Amino acid sequence: MTSLRSPLGWVLRALALLGFIYLLGPLLVIVAASFSDTGYLAFPPQGFSLRWYQAALADARYLNGFFVSLRLAAMVAALSLLVGTAAAVALTRFAFPGSVLLEALFLSPLVLPALVLAVALTLFFAANPIAPPGMTRLVVSHLLVGVPMVLRVMLPVLRRVDPAIEEAARNLGASPVKAFLLVTLPALRPGLVAAAALAFIFSFDEVEMALFLGSVRDAPLTVVLYGAAQMQMDPTVAAVSSLLILLALLLMVAQQVYANR
Amino acid sequence: MPASARRGLIAAGLLAPAALVFALLFLWPQFGLFLQSLEGPPTYSRFLGDGYYLGVLGNSLLLGVCVTLVTLVLGFPLAFLLARAETRWAGLLLLLTTFPLWVSAVVRSFAWMVLFFRSGVASRLLQGSGLVPPDFQLIGTFAGVVIALAQVLLPIMIVTLYAVIRGIDRDLEHAAMNLGASPAVALWLVTLRLARGGVLAGSLLVFSLSVSAFATPSMIGGARAHFMAVTIYEQTLELLDWPFAAAIAAILLVISLSVALTYGRLLGERAR
Repeated sequence: MTSLRSPLGWVLRALALLGFIYLLGPLLVIVAASFSDTGYLAFPPQGFSLRWYQAALADARYLNGFFVSLRLAAMVAALSLLVGTAAAVALTRFAFPGSVLLEALFLSPLVLPALVLAVALTLFFAANPIAPPGMTRLVVSHLLVGVPMVLRVMLPVLRRVDPAIEEAARNLGASPVKAFLLVTLPALRPGLVAAAALAFIFSFDEVEMALFLGSVRDAPLTVVLYGAAQMQMDPTVAAVSSLLILLALLLMVAQQVYANR
Repeated sequence: MPASARRGLIAAGLLAPAALVFALLFLWPQFGLFLQSLEGPPTYSRFLGDGYYLGVLGNSLLLGVCVTLVTLVLGFPLAFLLARAETRWAGLLLLLTTFPLWVSAVVRSFAWMVLFFRSGVASRLLQGSGLVPPDFQLIGTFAGVVIALAQVLLPIMIVTLYAVIRGIDRDLEHAAMNLGASPAVALWLVTLRLARGGVLAGSLLVFSLSVSAFATPSMIGGARAHFMAVTIYEQTLELLDWPFAAAIAAILLVISLSVALTYGRLLGERAR
């Protein structure tokens, strides 16, 4: 490309390289520091040791937090997918008054600060204790963002799938349910997988609502890490963070492999 | 039952779960938040009449401006080169650029804590330069929060800009250069002008997210993190002044909503 061989091109490249290092460097720093054979967080690392990983895996708080996060994210992904896809089908396949407004309402939590949602729910649950503190409150609060995420993926996907195909199946004798399950659903599958993955990652990584609505017993991993990071510069936190980075990497690769199948 | 009534019932059934979730857990709590902010001694005048809280608001707005500028300056070149790259590595590079979005903001902010504490690399570099006192650390400073938060939000800016720059016809740039424009002038007059909508959209998005950010400002800002979200957190969970917390949350909500509406109008204008 012509304009990239000019001095300006080199300025752009230098800035882009800087941006790239800035973006990924800290993640590498944390992984490197987690292997340090020192009693404190050291970068550049000194020596090589896996003892902080041993310490992390032996610490019940992290292990418990991990399983809480896993359960939470799985439930949020499944429920968001069900509730969100049903709403998306209604919004795209049925014409009714107010559907545009309803769609805007359903998508609006995506542009609101998670912290405001969290405060509102904290006050709401204090006045109306309809759900016990802990997991239930965490799940419902994350649904408020999970459902809009699913909608944002599924609305365009559903609008692209031609309803005429489903109609053709019904003209050939399939029941409405059968036509949907056999014809439309397979066409939606990549969208459904992407939507569920988004809701899962969001819930697994979320900390604001989790801080407000979790309980000591049901503290997700992000909350445990947030607390531990503020106590002291403990290399165990770096080891747990590195494991989370590895997990994110594996998930991203899995998603790519699925998308490029 | 007539077919239309049955269709109506099916639609209502499909919408019911989402409608219930939103009525019970979104509209009601948001309305309750607003009502609670009006309870007891006047909360809004307390916020707007107190220099400390106005300073918190100003701090958050300034954070938004600084983070937006940093993400623009670093994000535009990356998005531009990725959008124009013709190698097969471009896909992988784009993937790596968005990878941090898969990692929790808590983990990413912790990485900056490692660099920023007193004997962290970044703080030591600054101490070595002699510009700061020997016991200086970037943790607890405004600059530290800007650096960390800009890194956390940079992928979002890049993704927004990338989509827009991909949509710009490269022939327009070439045409400008064929007509005698230098590459710099072509980039300025053609590409940047055409990407203006994306630059504005990305900026509004990053600005809104920075103003309401919690995890990074609270972890990097330390005990003296005077930002909106951190103040709301303290008022809700530590000082238990719920009407006041509700009022600050409502103010933050109004800021986010006005940015979102501007953003929506912008996208609407572009679509037309």
